Amino acid sequence: METVQSTNSFNISDLTEEEQALLMTIQQTKQQLLLEIQELKREIEDVTNELVGMDMGDENKPDPKAKQARQISIGRKKFNMDPKKGIEFLIEHDLLQHTPEDVARFLFQGEGLNKTAIGDYLGERHDFNMNVLKAFVNLHEFGDMILVQALRQFLWSFRLPGEAQKIDRMMECFAERYCFLNPGMFVNTDTCYVLSFAIIMLNTSLHNPSVKDKPTVERFIDMNRGINDGGNLPVELLTNLYDNIKKEPFKIPEDDGNDLMHTFFNPIKEGWLMKQGGRVRSWKRRWFILNDNCLYYFQYTTDKEPKGIIPLENIQVREVLSEKSKPNCFELFSAGTLDIIKACKVDSDGKVVEGRHSVYRMAASSVDEKEDWISCIRSSINDNPFYNMLAARRENATGSHARTK
Amino acid sequence: MGVFASRVFQALQRFSSGGNIRVLLLGLDAAGKTTILYKVKLNETVYTIPTIGFNVESLSPVKGLNFIVWDVAGQDKFRYLWRYYYTGTQGLLYVVDSADRVRLEEAREELLTIIKSPDMERVPLVVVANKQDMTEALTTSEVADGLGLREITDRKWYVQGACAETGDGIYESMQEMARLVKEVYKK
Repeated sequence: METVQSTNSFNISDLTEEEQALLMTIQQTKQQLLLEIQELKREIEDVTNELVGMDMGDENKPDPKAKQARQISIGRKKFNMDPKKGIEFLIEHDLLQHTPEDVARFLFQGEGLNKTAIGDYLGERHDFNMNVLKAFVNLHEFGDMILVQALRQFLWSFRLPGEAQKIDRMMECFAERYCFLNPGMFVNTDTCYVLSFAIIMLNTSLHNPSVKDKPTVERFIDMNRGINDGGNLPVELLTNLYDNIKKEPFKIPEDDGNDLMHTFFNPIKEGWLMKQGGRVRSWKRRWFILNDNCLYYFQYTTDKEPKGIIPLENIQVREVLSEKSKPNCFELFSAGTLDIIKACKVDSDGKVVEGRHSVYRMAASSVDEKEDWISCIRSSINDNPFYNMLAARRENATGSHARTK
Repeated sequence: MGVFASRVFQALQRFSSGGNIRVLLLGLDAAGKTTILYKVKLNETVYTIPTIGFNVESLSPVKGLNFIVWDVAGQDKFRYLWRYYYTGTQGLLYVVDSADRVRLEEAREELLTIIKSPDMERVPLVVVANKQDMTEALTTSEVADGLGLREITDRKWYVQGACAETGDGIYESMQEMARLVKEVYKK
Protein backbone atom coordinates (compact mmCIF):
# COMPACT_ATOMS: atom_id res chain seq x y z
CA MET A 1 0.00 0.00 0.00
CA GLU A 2 2.81 2.31 0.85
CA THR A 3 4.52 1.62 -2.45
CA VAL A 4 1.30 2.36 -4.26
CA GLN A 5 1.01 5.72 -2.50
CA SER A 6 4.62 6.65 -3.12
CA THR A 7 4.31 5.67 -6.77
CA ASN A 8 1.17 7.75 -6.76
CA SER A 9 2.85 10.88 -5.36
CA PHE A 10 5.81 10.50 -7.68
CA ASN A 11 4.12 9.68 -10.93
CA ILE A 12 0.54 10.83 -10.72
CA SER A 13 1.15 14.00 -12.75
CA ASP A 14 2.89 12.07 -15.53
CA LEU A 15 -0.17 10.00 -16.18
CA THR A 16 -2.98 10.76 -18.51
CA GLU A 17 -6.40 11.38 -17.12
CA GLU A 18 -7.53 7.95 -18.27
CA GLU A 19 -4.55 6.32 -16.66
CA GLN A 20 -5.23 8.23 -13.46
CA ALA A 21 -8.84 7.03 -13.43
CA LEU A 22 -7.67 3.46 -14.00
CA LEU A 23 -5.20 3.78 -11.17
CA MET A 24 -7.93 5.04 -8.86
CA THR A 25 -10.07 2.01 -9.71
CA ILE A 26 -7.14 -0.27 -9.14
CA GLN A 27 -6.47 1.35 -5.80
CA GLN A 28 -10.09 1.04 -4.75
CA THR A 29 -10.22 -2.60 -5.76
CA LYS A 30 -7.05 -3.26 -3.88
CA GLN A 31 -8.39 -1.56 -0.79
CA GLN A 32 -11.50 -3.62 -1.00
CA LEU A 33 -9.53 -6.80 -1.45
CA LEU A 34 -7.36 -6.00 1.52
CA LEU A 35 -10.44 -5.45 3.65
CA GLU A 36 -11.83 -8.73 2.47
CA ILE A 37 -8.59 -10.51 3.25
CA GLN A 38 -8.66 -9.06 6.71
CA GLU A 39 -12.21 -10.14 7.23
CA LEU A 40 -11.36 -13.64 6.05
CA LYS A 41 -8.37 -13.75 8.36
CA ARG A 42 -10.58 -12.82 11.28
CA GLU A 43 -13.04 -15.50 10.30
CA ILE A 44 -10.31 -18.10 10.01
CA GLU A 45 -9.05 -17.06 13.42
CA ASP A 46 -12.54 -17.47 14.89
CA VAL A 47 -12.97 -20.90 13.37
CA THR A 48 -9.49 -21.96 14.45
CA ASN A 49 -10.22 -20.85 17.98
CA GLU A 50 -13.43 -22.74 17.90
CA LEU A 51 -11.66 -25.85 16.67
CA VAL A 52 -8.97 -25.54 19.33
CA GLY A 53 -11.74 -25.19 21.87
CA MET A 54 -13.32 -28.36 20.56
CA ASP A 55 -10.03 -30.23 20.52
CA MET A 56 -9.32 -29.40 24.11
CA GLY A 57 -12.98 -29.57 25.05
CA ASP A 58 -12.62 -30.57 28.66
CA GLU A 59 -9.56 -28.49 29.45
CA ASN A 60 -11.59 -25.39 28.73
CA LYS A 61 -14.44 -26.44 30.92
CA PRO A 62 -14.56 -24.30 34.00
CA ASP A 63 -15.47 -27.27 36.20
CA PRO A 64 -12.27 -29.00 37.33
CA LYS A 65 -14.31 -31.62 39.17
CA ALA A 66 -15.83 -32.87 35.94
CA LYS A 67 -12.39 -33.13 34.43
CA GLN A 68 -11.12 -34.99 37.45
CA ALA A 69 -14.03 -37.39 37.37
CA ARG A 70 -13.30 -38.09 33.74
CA GLN A 71 -9.62 -38.71 34.45
CA ILE A 72 -10.48 -41.08 37.29
CA SER A 73 -12.81 -42.95 35.01
CA ILE A 74 -10.04 -43.24 32.38
CA GLY A 75 -7.69 -44.43 35.12
CA ARG A 76 -10.15 -47.11 36.20
CA LYS A 77 -10.55 -48.37 32.67
CA LYS A 78 -6.78 -48.44 32.22
CA PHE A 79 -6.46 -50.31 35.51
CA ASN A 80 -8.89 -52.96 34.38
CA MET A 81 -6.89 -53.48 31.18
CA ASP A 82 -3.47 -53.28 32.80
CA PRO A 83 -3.40 -52.64 36.56
CA LYS A 84 0.13 -51.27 36.64
CA LYS A 85 -0.52 -48.76 33.86
CA GLY A 86 -3.77 -47.67 35.47
CA ILE A 87 -2.11 -46.90 38.80
CA GLU A 88 0.74 -45.08 37.01
CA PHE A 89 -1.79 -42.99 35.12
CA LEU A 90 -3.67 -42.03 38.28
CA ILE A 91 -0.45 -41.12 40.08
CA GLU A 92 0.78 -39.07 37.10
CA HIS A 93 -2.45 -37.10 37.09
CA ASP A 94 -2.29 -36.45 40.83
CA LEU A 95 -5.41 -38.48 41.47
CA LEU A 96 -3.51 -40.91 43.67
CA GLN A 97 -0.53 -40.43 45.88
CA HIS A 98 2.42 -42.68 45.32
CA THR A 99 2.04 -44.37 48.69
CA PRO A 100 0.98 -47.94 49.43
CA GLU A 101 -1.77 -46.59 51.71
CA ASP A 102 -3.36 -44.39 49.08
CA VAL A 103 -3.23 -47.01 46.36
CA ALA A 104 -4.62 -49.59 48.81
CA ARG A 105 -7.52 -47.30 49.67
CA PHE A 106 -8.31 -46.91 45.99
CA LEU A 107 -8.33 -50.69 45.49
CA PHE A 108 -10.30 -51.28 48.66
CA GLN A 109 -13.04 -48.86 47.62
CA GLY A 110 -12.86 -50.69 44.32
CA GLU A 111 -15.42 -48.54 42.53
CA GLY A 112 -15.51 -49.47 38.87
CA LEU A 113 -12.57 -51.82 39.25
CA ASN A 114 -12.30 -55.34 37.98
CA LYS A 115 -11.63 -57.71 40.88
CA THR A 116 -9.33 -59.94 38.86
CA ALA A 117 -7.24 -56.87 38.06
CA ILE A 118 -7.12 -55.98 41.77
CA GLY A 119 -5.95 -59.53 42.55
CA ASP A 120 -3.30 -59.36 39.84
CA TYR A 121 -1.98 -56.08 41.19
CA LEU A 122 -1.90 -57.27 44.80
CA GLY A 123 -0.17 -60.51 43.80
CA GLU A 124 2.84 -58.94 42.08
CA ARG A 125 6.16 -59.72 43.71
CA HIS A 126 7.43 -56.13 43.77
CA ASP A 127 8.18 -54.28 46.98
CA PHE A 128 5.63 -51.57 46.27
CA ASN A 129 2.88 -54.07 45.37
CA MET A 130 3.61 -56.12 48.47
CA ASN A 131 3.34 -53.00 50.60
CA VAL A 132 0.06 -52.15 48.91
CA LEU A 133 -1.10 -55.68 49.75
CA LYS A 134 -0.26 -55.14 53.41
CA ALA A 135 -2.01 -51.77 53.49
CA PHE A 136 -4.97 -53.29 51.63
CA VAL A 137 -5.35 -56.10 54.17
CA ASN A 138 -5.10 -53.57 56.98
CA LEU A 139 -8.20 -51.80 55.68
CA HIS A 140 -10.25 -54.91 56.43
CA GLU A 141 -12.03 -55.28 59.75
CA PHE A 142 -12.00 -58.87 60.95
CA GLY A 143 -12.62 -58.25 64.65
CA ASP A 144 -14.89 -60.83 66.37
CA MET A 145 -15.20 -62.93 63.25
CA ILE A 146 -14.49 -66.62 62.97
CA LEU A 147 -11.63 -67.37 60.60
CA VAL A 148 -13.65 -68.69 57.69
CA GLN A 149 -16.04 -65.74 57.87
CA ALA A 150 -13.12 -63.32 57.77
CA LEU A 151 -11.60 -65.26 54.90
CA ARG A 152 -14.85 -65.09 52.97
CA GLN A 153 -15.00 -61.35 53.44
CA PHE A 154 -11.36 -60.94 52.44
CA LEU A 155 -11.72 -63.09 49.32
CA TRP A 156 -14.71 -61.06 48.19
CA SER A 157 -12.67 -57.86 47.94
CA PHE A 158 -10.54 -59.16 45.05
CA ARG A 159 -10.21 -62.25 42.88
CA LEU A 160 -7.62 -64.52 44.45
CA PRO A 161 -5.01 -65.42 41.81
CA GLY A 162 -4.32 -69.14 41.28
CA GLU A 163 -0.54 -69.00 41.68
CA ALA A 164 0.62 -70.69 44.85
CA GLN A 165 3.21 -68.04 45.75
CA LYS A 166 0.68 -65.26 45.37
CA ILE A 167 -1.83 -67.10 47.52
CA ASP A 168 0.97 -67.67 50.00
CA ARG A 169 1.78 -63.96 50.36
CA MET A 170 -1.89 -63.05 50.57
CA MET A 171 -2.63 -65.61 53.28
CA GLU A 172 0.39 -64.48 55.25
CA CYS A 173 -0.85 -60.87 55.26
CA PHE A 174 -4.37 -62.00 55.99
CA ALA A 175 -3.29 -64.13 58.95
CA GLU A 176 -1.26 -61.30 60.43
CA ARG A 177 -4.21 -58.95 60.27
CA TYR A 178 -6.64 -61.53 61.61
CA CYS A 179 -4.42 -62.42 64.56
CA PHE A 180 -3.80 -58.76 65.32
CA LEU A 181 -7.54 -58.11 65.53
CA ASN A 182 -8.32 -61.38 67.30
CA PRO A 183 -5.53 -61.91 69.82
CA GLY A 184 -5.58 -65.25 71.59
CA MET A 185 -7.45 -67.04 68.83
CA PHE A 186 -4.32 -68.87 67.68
CA VAL A 187 -1.11 -69.81 69.43
CA ASN A 188 0.81 -67.82 66.85
CA THR A 189 0.34 -66.12 63.50
CA ASP A 190 1.95 -68.99 61.60
CA THR A 191 -0.75 -71.40 62.77
CA CYS A 192 -3.40 -69.07 61.38
CA TYR A 193 -1.35 -68.60 58.18
CA VAL A 194 -0.90 -72.33 57.53
CA LEU A 195 -4.54 -73.02 58.37
CA SER A 196 -5.71 -70.30 55.98
CA PHE A 197 -3.53 -71.80 53.27
CA ALA A 198 -4.97 -75.23 54.05
CA ILE A 199 -8.51 -73.84 53.75
CA ILE A 200 -7.73 -72.54 50.26
CA MET A 201 -6.38 -75.99 49.40
CA LEU A 202 -9.51 -77.56 50.77
CA ASN A 203 -11.72 -75.27 48.70
CA THR A 204 -9.67 -76.18 45.61
CA SER A 205 -9.87 -79.90 46.33
CA LEU A 206 -13.57 -79.94 47.09
CA HIS A 207 -14.80 -77.64 44.38
CA ASN A 208 -12.37 -77.54 41.48
CA PRO A 209 -13.81 -79.98 38.93
CA SER A 210 -10.29 -80.99 37.85
CA VAL A 211 -9.61 -82.52 41.25
CA LYS A 212 -11.05 -85.99 41.14
CA ASP A 213 -10.24 -87.41 44.55
CA LYS A 214 -12.22 -85.31 47.00
CA PRO A 215 -10.72 -85.39 50.49
CA THR A 216 -12.76 -86.59 53.44
CA VAL A 217 -12.98 -84.70 56.71
CA GLU A 218 -10.60 -87.25 58.25
CA ARG A 219 -8.04 -86.49 55.62
CA PHE A 220 -8.42 -82.75 56.21
CA ILE A 221 -7.92 -83.24 59.95
CA ASP A 222 -4.95 -85.48 59.26
CA MET A 223 -3.35 -83.00 56.92
CA ASN A 224 -3.52 -80.28 59.53
CA ARG A 225 -1.81 -82.38 62.18
CA GLY A 226 1.01 -80.53 63.85
CA ILE A 227 0.32 -77.10 62.39
CA ASN A 228 -0.46 -75.58 65.78
CA ASP A 229 3.14 -74.89 66.71
CA GLY A 230 3.79 -78.62 66.63
CA GLY A 231 0.50 -79.47 68.34
CA ASN A 232 -2.93 -80.14 66.88
CA LEU A 233 -5.89 -77.83 66.46
CA PRO A 234 -9.20 -78.88 68.06
CA VAL A 235 -11.01 -81.45 65.93
CA GLU A 236 -14.31 -79.53 66.19
CA LEU A 237 -12.68 -76.45 64.73
CA LEU A 238 -11.36 -78.41 61.74
CA THR A 239 -14.62 -80.31 61.30
CA ASN A 240 -16.59 -77.08 61.32
CA LEU A 241 -14.22 -75.57 58.78
CA TYR A 242 -14.53 -78.61 56.55
CA ASP A 243 -18.32 -78.59 56.68
CA ASN A 244 -18.46 -74.88 56.10
CA ILE A 245 -16.32 -75.02 52.95
CA LYS A 246 -17.97 -78.17 51.69
CA LYS A 247 -21.42 -76.65 52.05
CA GLU A 248 -20.48 -73.34 50.53
CA PRO A 249 -17.47 -72.76 48.27
CA PHE A 250 -15.77 -69.38 48.26
CA LYS A 251 -17.75 -67.17 45.95
CA ILE A 252 -16.16 -65.69 42.88
CA PRO A 253 -16.28 -61.98 43.68
CA GLU A 254 -18.53 -59.98 41.43
CA ASP A 255 -16.96 -57.23 39.47
CA ASP A 256 -17.78 -53.69 40.10
CA GLY A 257 -15.61 -52.99 37.12
CA ASN A 258 -17.80 -53.95 34.24
CA ASP A 259 -17.58 -50.75 32.22
CA LEU A 260 -20.29 -51.96 29.94
CA MET A 261 -22.65 -52.45 32.86
CA HIS A 262 -22.18 -48.79 33.74
CA THR A 263 -22.92 -47.91 30.16
CA PHE A 264 -26.07 -49.96 30.11
CA PHE A 265 -27.31 -48.48 33.33
CA ASN A 266 -29.55 -45.41 32.85
CA PRO A 267 -29.53 -45.45 29.08
CA ILE A 268 -31.00 -42.64 26.97
CA LYS A 269 -33.37 -45.12 25.43
CA GLU A 270 -33.81 -48.89 25.38
CA GLY A 271 -36.27 -51.31 23.91
CA TRP A 272 -37.00 -54.13 21.48
CA LEU A 273 -36.56 -53.51 17.77
CA MET A 274 -36.48 -55.79 14.77
CA LYS A 275 -33.11 -55.57 13.05
CA GLN A 276 -32.37 -56.60 9.50
CA GLY A 277 -29.23 -58.66 8.92
CA GLY A 278 -26.28 -57.25 7.00
CA ARG A 279 -25.70 -60.10 4.60
CA VAL A 280 -28.71 -62.29 5.12
CA ARG A 281 -31.66 -59.94 4.98
CA SER A 282 -33.64 -61.66 7.68
CA TRP A 283 -35.22 -59.82 10.59
CA LYS A 284 -34.24 -60.59 14.15
CA ARG A 285 -35.57 -59.27 17.38
CA ARG A 286 -32.90 -57.46 19.36
CA TRP A 287 -32.83 -55.47 22.56
CA PHE A 288 -31.35 -52.05 21.80
CA ILE A 289 -29.72 -49.66 24.22
CA LEU A 290 -28.78 -46.14 23.28
CA ASN A 291 -26.12 -44.47 25.40
CA ASP A 292 -22.75 -42.73 25.21
CA ASN A 293 -23.17 -41.98 21.51
CA CYS A 294 -23.38 -45.66 20.80
CA LEU A 295 -26.15 -48.01 19.91
CA TYR A 296 -25.80 -51.48 21.47
CA TYR A 297 -27.92 -54.48 20.72
CA PHE A 298 -28.41 -57.70 22.63
CA GLN A 299 -30.05 -61.00 22.02
CA TYR A 300 -31.71 -61.00 25.45
CA THR A 301 -32.34 -58.23 27.92
CA THR A 302 -30.36 -60.16 30.53
CA ASP A 303 -27.21 -60.49 28.39
CA LYS A 304 -24.23 -58.89 30.05
CA GLU A 305 -22.43 -58.24 26.82
CA PRO A 306 -23.91 -56.86 23.63
CA LYS A 307 -24.07 -58.74 20.38
CA GLY A 308 -23.19 -55.63 18.48
CA ILE A 309 -22.04 -52.05 18.95
CA ILE A 310 -22.65 -49.21 16.49
CA PRO A 311 -20.82 -45.99 17.32
CA LEU A 312 -23.01 -43.06 16.25
CA GLU A 313 -20.16 -41.37 14.53
CA ASN A 314 -20.27 -40.11 10.98
CA ILE A 315 -23.66 -41.61 10.43
CA GLN A 316 -27.19 -40.33 10.04
CA VAL A 317 -30.63 -41.67 10.70
CA ARG A 318 -33.69 -41.54 8.45
CA GLU A 319 -37.16 -42.88 8.17
CA VAL A 320 -37.74 -45.71 5.69
CA LEU A 321 -41.08 -45.83 3.95
CA SER A 322 -40.17 -48.20 1.12
CA GLU A 323 -39.79 -51.32 3.29
CA LYS A 324 -42.65 -53.57 2.34
CA SER A 325 -42.15 -56.39 4.80
CA LYS A 326 -42.14 -54.28 7.96
CA PRO A 327 -43.91 -51.14 9.08
CA ASN A 328 -42.31 -48.38 11.21
CA CYS A 329 -38.86 -48.72 9.69
CA PHE A 330 -35.88 -46.46 10.02
CA GLU A 331 -32.25 -46.85 9.17
CA LEU A 332 -28.78 -45.66 9.99
CA PHE A 333 -26.61 -44.79 7.01
CA SER A 334 -23.10 -43.58 6.54
CA ALA A 335 -22.72 -39.83 6.30
CA GLY A 336 -19.04 -39.99 5.47
CA THR A 337 -17.17 -41.24 2.49
CA LEU A 338 -17.18 -44.84 3.68
CA ASP A 339 -19.90 -47.09 2.39
CA ILE A 340 -19.80 -49.43 5.34
CA ILE A 341 -20.84 -48.20 8.75
CA LYS A 342 -18.09 -48.58 11.31
CA ALA A 343 -19.43 -51.11 13.82
CA CYS A 344 -18.60 -54.40 15.40
CA LYS A 345 -20.49 -57.50 16.38
CA VAL A 346 -19.97 -60.93 17.87
CA ASP A 347 -20.23 -63.67 15.27
CA SER A 348 -21.62 -67.15 15.77
CA ASP A 349 -18.23 -68.42 17.00
CA GLY A 350 -18.10 -65.75 19.68
CA LYS A 351 -15.44 -63.73 17.87
CA VAL A 352 -15.68 -59.96 17.62
CA VAL A 353 -15.76 -58.99 13.96
CA GLU A 354 -16.34 -55.79 12.01
CA GLY A 355 -19.88 -55.17 10.91
CA ARG A 356 -20.72 -55.38 7.20
CA HIS A 357 -23.68 -53.06 7.08
CA SER A 358 -23.91 -50.19 4.65
CA VAL A 359 -27.22 -49.41 6.33
CA TYR A 360 -28.68 -50.65 9.58
CA ARG A 361 -32.38 -51.09 9.08
CA MET A 362 -34.60 -51.41 12.12
CA ALA A 363 -38.33 -51.73 12.63
CA ALA A 364 -40.15 -50.41 15.68
CA SER A 365 -43.40 -51.70 17.05
CA SER A 366 -45.32 -48.47 16.52
CA VAL A 367 -45.14 -45.11 14.78
CA ASP A 368 -44.52 -43.33 18.10
CA GLU A 369 -41.72 -45.72 18.99
CA LYS A 370 -40.13 -45.25 15.60
CA GLU A 371 -40.24 -41.47 15.91
CA ASP A 372 -38.88 -41.57 19.41
CA TRP A 373 -35.96 -43.79 18.36
CA ILE A 374 -35.18 -41.54 15.39
CA SER A 375 -35.19 -38.41 17.48
CA CYS A 376 -33.15 -39.99 20.29
CA ILE A 377 -30.59 -41.37 17.88
CA ARG A 378 -30.45 -38.08 16.02
CA SER A 379 -29.75 -36.13 19.18
CA SER A 380 -27.10 -38.65 20.18
CA ILE A 381 -25.37 -38.12 16.87
CA ASN A 382 -25.53 -34.38 17.25
CA ASP A 383 -24.23 -34.61 20.77
CA ASN A 384 -20.99 -36.07 19.55
CA PRO A 385 -18.30 -33.35 19.75
CA PHE A 386 -16.07 -35.25 17.38
CA TYR A 387 -18.77 -35.32 14.79
CA ASN A 388 -19.41 -31.60 15.25
CA MET A 389 -15.77 -30.87 14.88
CA LEU A 390 -15.57 -32.86 11.69
CA ALA A 391 -18.64 -31.13 10.34
CA ALA A 392 -17.22 -27.70 11.24
CA ARG A 393 -13.96 -28.54 9.56
CA ARG A 394 -15.66 -29.73 6.46
CA GLU A 395 -17.84 -26.66 6.27
CA ASN A 396 -14.88 -24.44 6.86
CA ALA A 397 -12.86 -26.08 4.12
CA THR A 398 -15.62 -26.01 1.52
CA GLY A 399 -16.80 -22.54 2.60
CA SER A 400 -13.46 -20.78 2.19
CA HIS A 401 -12.86 -22.65 -1.02
CA ALA A 402 -16.07 -21.23 -2.44
CA ARG A 403 -15.14 -17.71 -1.42
CA THR A 404 -11.73 -17.71 -3.09
CA LYS A 405 -13.32 -18.70 -6.37
CA MET B 1 9.95 -100.92 51.27
CA GLY B 2 6.65 -102.69 51.76
CA VAL B 3 4.87 -99.36 51.96
CA PHE B 4 6.62 -98.19 48.88
CA ALA B 5 5.75 -101.32 46.93
CA SER B 6 2.09 -101.01 47.85
CA ARG B 7 2.14 -97.40 46.76
CA VAL B 8 3.58 -98.36 43.42
CA PHE B 9 0.97 -101.05 43.15
CA GLN B 10 -1.77 -98.53 43.88
CA ALA B 11 -0.33 -96.19 41.29
CA LEU B 12 -0.13 -99.00 38.81
CA GLN B 13 -3.71 -99.91 39.46
CA ARG B 14 -4.82 -96.36 38.91
CA PHE B 15 -2.65 -96.16 35.86
CA SER B 16 -3.88 -99.32 34.22
CA SER B 17 -7.50 -98.48 34.91
CA GLY B 18 -6.98 -95.34 32.85
CA GLY B 19 -7.02 -93.26 36.01
CA ASN B 20 -5.45 -89.93 36.62
CA ILE B 21 -1.78 -89.20 37.11
CA ARG B 22 -1.16 -86.65 39.79
CA VAL B 23 1.52 -84.22 38.67
CA LEU B 24 2.84 -81.34 40.72
CA LEU B 25 3.90 -78.18 38.96
CA LEU B 26 6.46 -76.46 41.12
CA GLY B 27 9.04 -73.73 40.78
CA LEU B 28 9.86 -70.27 42.04
CA ASP B 29 7.72 -67.20 41.46
CA ALA B 30 7.63 -65.92 37.90
CA ALA B 31 9.36 -69.01 36.53
CA GLY B 32 6.43 -69.36 34.13
CA LYS B 33 4.28 -72.05 35.74
CA THR B 34 0.93 -70.45 35.00
CA THR B 35 1.86 -69.69 31.40
CA ILE B 36 2.91 -73.30 30.87
CA LEU B 37 -0.22 -74.65 32.51
CA TYR B 38 -2.54 -72.58 30.36
CA LYS B 39 -0.50 -72.97 27.19
CA VAL B 40 -1.16 -76.70 27.35
CA LYS B 41 -4.72 -76.07 28.38
CA LEU B 42 -5.33 -73.70 25.47
CA ASN B 43 -5.31 -76.51 22.96
CA GLU B 44 -8.31 -77.99 24.66
CA THR B 45 -11.64 -76.31 24.73
CA VAL B 46 -13.02 -77.79 27.90
CA TYR B 47 -15.05 -75.35 29.87
CA THR B 48 -14.34 -75.51 33.57
CA ILE B 49 -16.23 -73.74 36.27
CA PRO B 50 -13.93 -71.18 37.88
CA THR B 51 -13.00 -71.97 41.46
CA ILE B 52 -11.31 -69.85 44.08
CA GLY B 53 -8.01 -71.48 44.94
CA PHE B 54 -4.94 -72.96 43.37
CA ASN B 55 -4.55 -73.50 39.67
CA VAL B 56 -5.39 -77.11 39.07
CA GLU B 57 -5.90 -78.35 35.55
CA SER B 58 -6.53 -81.69 34.09
CA LEU B 59 -4.44 -82.22 30.96
CA SER B 60 -4.18 -85.06 28.55
CA PRO B 61 -0.84 -84.78 26.73
CA VAL B 62 -0.89 -88.38 25.53
CA LYS B 63 -3.86 -90.58 24.73
CA GLY B 64 -4.93 -92.61 27.74
CA LEU B 65 -2.97 -90.47 30.20
CA ASN B 66 -4.61 -87.81 32.23
CA PHE B 67 -2.47 -85.43 34.25
CA ILE B 68 -3.96 -83.56 37.15
CA VAL B 69 -1.53 -80.71 37.48
CA TRP B 70 -1.42 -78.76 40.72
CA ASP B 71 0.36 -75.45 41.08
CA VAL B 72 1.36 -75.48 44.73
CA ALA B 73 4.36 -73.96 46.38
CA GLY B 74 6.66 -75.69 48.79
CA GLN B 75 7.19 -73.05 51.44
CA ASP B 76 8.97 -74.31 54.48
CA LYS B 77 6.15 -73.25 56.75
CA PHE B 78 3.82 -75.65 55.01
CA ARG B 79 5.90 -78.75 55.58
CA TYR B 80 2.98 -80.10 57.58
CA LEU B 81 0.70 -79.65 54.60
CA TRP B 82 3.16 -81.11 52.14
CA ARG B 83 2.30 -84.68 52.74
CA TYR B 84 -1.25 -83.82 51.84
CA TYR B 85 -0.51 -82.80 48.31
CA TYR B 86 2.70 -84.80 47.88
CA THR B 87 1.03 -88.10 48.70
CA GLY B 88 0.12 -89.98 45.57
CA THR B 89 2.16 -87.70 43.35
CA GLN B 90 3.47 -89.52 40.32
CA GLY B 91 5.30 -86.76 38.52
CA LEU B 92 7.07 -83.54 39.31
CA LEU B 93 7.31 -80.76 36.78
CA TYR B 94 9.81 -78.23 38.03
CA VAL B 95 9.91 -74.94 36.16
CA VAL B 96 13.05 -72.78 36.18
CA ASP B 97 13.60 -69.34 34.71
CA SER B 98 16.79 -70.06 32.72
CA ALA B 99 17.53 -66.35 32.44
CA ASP B 100 17.41 -65.68 36.18
CA ARG B 101 20.93 -66.67 37.21
CA VAL B 102 20.56 -64.90 40.53
CA ARG B 103 17.76 -67.15 41.74
CA LEU B 104 19.07 -70.42 40.35
CA GLU B 105 20.63 -71.31 43.69
CA GLU B 106 17.30 -70.61 45.41
CA ALA B 107 15.62 -72.83 42.85
CA ARG B 108 18.16 -75.58 43.55
CA GLU B 109 17.53 -75.43 47.30
CA GLU B 110 13.79 -75.54 46.84
CA LEU B 111 14.01 -78.49 44.48
CA LEU B 112 16.23 -80.40 46.92
CA THR B 113 13.80 -79.79 49.78
CA ILE B 114 10.92 -81.08 47.66
CA ILE B 115 12.55 -84.29 46.47
CA LYS B 116 13.89 -85.03 49.95
CA SER B 117 10.32 -85.48 51.19
CA PRO B 118 9.54 -89.19 51.70
CA ASP B 119 6.31 -88.83 49.74
CA MET B 120 8.27 -87.75 46.70
CA GLU B 121 10.49 -90.80 46.71
CA ARG B 122 11.27 -92.06 43.19
CA VAL B 123 8.81 -89.61 41.64
CA PRO B 124 10.20 -88.80 38.19
CA LEU B 125 11.31 -85.24 37.62
CA VAL B 126 11.08 -83.16 34.47
CA VAL B 127 12.80 -79.80 34.73
CA VAL B 128 11.43 -77.24 32.31
CA ALA B 129 14.27 -74.81 31.57
CA ASN B 130 11.98 -71.96 30.62
CA LYS B 131 12.65 -68.63 28.88
CA GLN B 132 15.20 -70.11 26.47
CA ASP B 133 14.40 -67.25 24.11
CA MET B 134 16.19 -64.76 26.35
CA THR B 135 19.71 -63.91 25.26
CA GLU B 136 21.11 -64.35 28.77
CA ALA B 137 19.42 -67.72 29.24
CA LEU B 138 21.49 -70.63 30.52
CA THR B 139 21.60 -73.74 28.35
CA THR B 140 19.75 -76.85 29.51
CA SER B 141 23.09 -78.37 30.45
CA GLU B 142 23.98 -75.32 32.55
CA VAL B 143 20.58 -75.46 34.22
CA ALA B 144 21.15 -79.14 35.02
CA ASP B 145 24.49 -78.24 36.60
CA GLY B 146 23.10 -75.26 38.46
CA LEU B 147 20.32 -77.37 39.97
CA GLY B 148 22.75 -80.16 40.83
CA LEU B 149 20.70 -82.66 38.84
CA ARG B 150 23.69 -84.83 38.06
CA GLU B 151 23.92 -85.71 41.74
CA ILE B 152 20.35 -87.00 41.75
CA THR B 153 20.53 -90.75 41.44
CA ASP B 154 17.38 -91.90 43.19
CA ARG B 155 14.99 -91.07 40.36
CA LYS B 156 14.64 -90.50 36.65
CA TRP B 157 15.05 -86.92 35.57
CA TYR B 158 15.10 -84.97 32.37
CA VAL B 159 15.71 -81.35 31.42
CA GLN B 160 13.69 -79.83 28.62
CA GLY B 161 14.44 -76.40 27.20
CA ALA B 162 11.28 -74.38 26.62
CA CYS B 163 9.72 -71.02 25.92
CA ALA B 164 6.32 -70.89 27.56
CA GLU B 165 5.31 -67.70 25.76
CA THR B 166 5.53 -69.34 22.34
CA GLY B 167 4.77 -72.83 23.61
CA ASP B 168 8.08 -74.23 22.36
CA GLY B 169 9.16 -77.27 24.35
CA ILE B 170 6.03 -77.44 26.46
CA TYR B 171 4.49 -80.31 24.60
CA GLU B 172 7.84 -82.10 24.70
CA SER B 173 8.01 -81.63 28.50
CA MET B 174 4.61 -83.27 28.89
CA GLN B 175 5.57 -86.08 26.53
CA GLU B 176 8.73 -86.69 28.49
CA MET B 177 6.78 -86.71 31.72
CA ALA B 178 4.36 -89.25 30.27
CA ARG B 179 7.28 -91.41 29.16
CA LEU B 180 8.98 -91.30 32.56
CA VAL B 181 5.74 -91.96 34.42
CA LYS B 182 5.12 -95.01 32.26
CA GLU B 183 8.66 -96.22 32.75
CA VAL B 184 8.62 -95.86 36.52
CA TYR B 185 5.16 -97.18 37.28
CA LYS B 186 4.47 -99.71 34.58
CA LYS B 187 7.43 -101.98 35.29
